[in-house]
Amino acid sequence: MNKKLIYLFLCFLFFISVMAQKEKDSLYFGIKLKWKTENLELNKNYYSKNDTLQFSLLKFYVSGVEINYEDGSIYKEENSYHLIDFEYDNSKLFSISKNENKPISKIVFAIGIDSTASNSGALSGNLDLQKGMYWAWQSGYINMKIEGKSSSCKTRKNAFHFHVGGYLEPFYAMQKVEIKLNDNSNDKNQISLVMDLAKLFEEIKLSELNSIMIPGTEAMKIAILSTKLFSVE
Amino acid sequence: MKKTLYIFGIGIFIFGILAFSKSYFTPIYFDVPKGFPKPVYDFKNNPLTEEGFELGRKLFYDPILSKDNTISCAVCHLQQTGFTHVDHDLSHGIDGKIGTRNSLTLQNLAWSKNFMWDGGVNHLDVQAIAPITSEVEMDETLENVVQKLNSNATYQKLFEIAFGTKKITGQLTLKAISQFVVTFTTANSKYDKVLKKEENFTEMEQKGYKLFQKHCASCHNEPLLASNDFKNNGLAIDPTLNDFGRMKITQNPNDSLKFKVPTLRNIEFTFPYMHDGRFKTLNEVVKHYNSGIQKSKTLAKELQKPINLSDNERVEIISFLKTLTDKEFLFNLKYGFPK
Repeated sequence: MNKKLIYLFLCFLFFISVMAQKEKDSLYFGIKLKWKTENLELNKNYYSKNDTLQFSLLKFYVSGVEINYEDGSIYKEENSYHLIDFEYDNSKLFSISKNENKPISKIVFAIGIDSTASNSGALSGNLDLQKGMYWAWQSGYINMKIEGKSSSCKTRKNAFHFHVGGYLEPFYAMQKVEIKLNDNSNDKNQISLVMDLAKLFEEIKLSELNSIMIPGTEAMKIAILSTKLFSVE
Repeated sequence: MKKTLYIFGIGIFIFGILAFSKSYFTPIYFDVPKGFPKPVYDFKNNPLTEEGFELGRKLFYDPILSKDNTISCAVCHLQQTGFTHVDHDLSHGIDGKIGTRNSLTLQNLAWSKNFMWDGGVNHLDVQAIAPITSEVEMDETLENVVQKLNSNATYQKLFEIAFGTKKITGQLTLKAISQFVVTFTTANSKYDKVLKKEENFTEMEQKGYKLFQKHCASCHNEPLLASNDFKNNGLAIDPTLNDFGRMKITQNPNDSLKFKVPTLRNIEFTFPYMHDGRFKTLNEVVKHYNSGIQKSKTLAKELQKPINLSDNERVEIISFLKTLTDKEFLFNLKYGFPK
């Protein structure tokens, strides 16, 4: 009986060590959401040069993640569609590949969903339409949702809604982001980026722009601005 | 020796049970009628099975898709009228709310590249999310629908039979609905039978057919009597709706007032007509094309010159249009309310 227990216990230890090993061997990609230098919180007042605002919802897709190593090799993640949701911490940190333990020169990814996936009918996983990141009356994914309120918005409940997307030219909203990393900027098994929302809201006036629900020039403006929000932690 | 055989026998028996208890699908072969083009729908991505078809059929007729469990797809898409909503110019949904357009028919969808009057939907599999989430139709979210289905033992079983998994997702729900509606092939009207030389038009129908080919078929392409294109067919804008059609999707002014060219199959029963259901009778429709065209910048090139049909010719065209009725399709029990 005792022997059996010891055996089980050893198995358990082995299992744990394998799991731990696996975790150590992965390269993680993390995004921290901030307002300037503070960690972002929902329903808290923030001040841009034009407006006072609060956030109530923040969701966006990161896709097509690519790791460029200093030795010139490139790793492209397959089926690379991540949905970042402010309310779920585990959506902000995900593994992308095996850790090669090689210096990384840059990370490349897109904000949003490519036109091929937008044309492929009902997909699964993070691209399942039940995630609520999809327009109904007009096909296509919503690349990014930012919602909140501000006294500058003369709208119902002072709300602002930015639903940014569009997969057809000239309003193809998916945007590529490239972030150069230097050796001391990244942790051995984690690439940590900061997304600073202040950089977006300093560029716009919520009194003028507060509701985007369709693809078009306004969505493109926010999409292009959103590429400037990322930096190395 | 006896014991070994005995164990061996049990082993085979268990293997047999395991092999056949695994989900077992019955494939459906999608039939392309003679003379029809190659379907647009990619069946490789959603192979049709009897089990998937029956699940889709149940979903199509089940108000579980709507917020308050009152509205099913079939409320606006009745089989006997070509799967459209008759007698209402604008279709209505939840709480008696009224939409802004007349529901389209659901016919020969496997050949459609785009869906909706403005072509805003690019794939049959994502079509259903539009009525599900529309505030005036079902006013529900797909997430919620999936949750309701997941907590329903019957659906759990049916999804397992159809897709081999108990875990119901948005993807599988939409694919099941597609498996049902994509099979709505109508190709057994008198018109089809004449083309196959199994029947003959009457003299009047034949004259109407010739007129149709001359004046109508350039947009309503045979044999589907539809096209995947969008046209401005010269309807005056309704100031209570201000619906500019395709332009809302593309934001291109050249698409102003353009709408889908719908199929004319079963047109005898799909009244009222046009995107806003403004015409109640085929007579009004033919009169519109004959003498009611409003000129505007985006008017279809096919409609620039007046058609100038005589009264007799209008009657002939209508008698031809009535040969597009396919009763085998309209009353086919396999598309009806599930047993």
